[in-house]
Amino acid sequence: MMEGTISNRIRVLRFHHGEMSQAELGQRIGVTRQTVAAIEAGKYSPSLEAAFRIAQVFNLPLEEVFHWEAKATP
Amino acid sequence: MPYREKTAWLSLIAMAAAFGPYFAIVAMRSLPGALPDLRQLGLLAVAAILQMLILGAGHLFLRRGSPQDARTPPDERDRAIMRRSISSAYYVLIAGMILVGCVMPFSSSGWSIVNAALVMIVAAEVVHYGVVVLSYRRQA
Repeated sequence: MMEGTISNRIRVLRFHHGEMSQAELGQRIGVTRQTVAAIEAGKYSPSLEAAFRIAQVFNLPLEEVFHWEAKATP
Repeated sequence: MPYREKTAWLSLIAMAAAFGPYFAIVAMRSLPGALPDLRQLGLLAVAAILQMLILGAGHLFLRRGSPQDARTPPDERDRAIMRRSISSAYYVLIAGMILVGCVMPFSSSGWSIVNAALVMIVAAEVVHYGVVVLSYRRQA
């Protein structure tokens, strides 16, 4: 199985959207502020639906919010 | 700290406060063979009531501290953590009940079976709430 890490640009995108708070983003996508913080820090991978909702809030395609990088296999 | 992590801590504390002393007392005293053992039954009732009181007071306190969080339904991360914790606790409970079933034919005291089952139920609950706390800590 290929292994990789998911990163995201949520912090930057929040900044560009009038310094939107984590609580406000959470409210708009139906999760708690703590869950937004965990997603932002890369400690929790959201469901595909939540990821699409986040992208929708920023009016961007999914791949401009979330990135997946495959780990180099030795 | 998320509201659901606080309630998990509360459940762990209530269990430790109620069943810690209960199991300590039970371990120290010799089990009588005759039934019903009303002293033992009273001890169990005290532990159960104490746990309910701590949980009731604790939930009231937490709800007053953050009423908005208390009203918020669990989101997908909360539900994922709940699923993981319940499945972990399930294995502990099943293994525990099998162990109790193995001990049962060799025990003449009804209370030793009851207490063995109680230990396993409490262990499963500790795993349940322990996994909840650990999951929230890891993702904090």
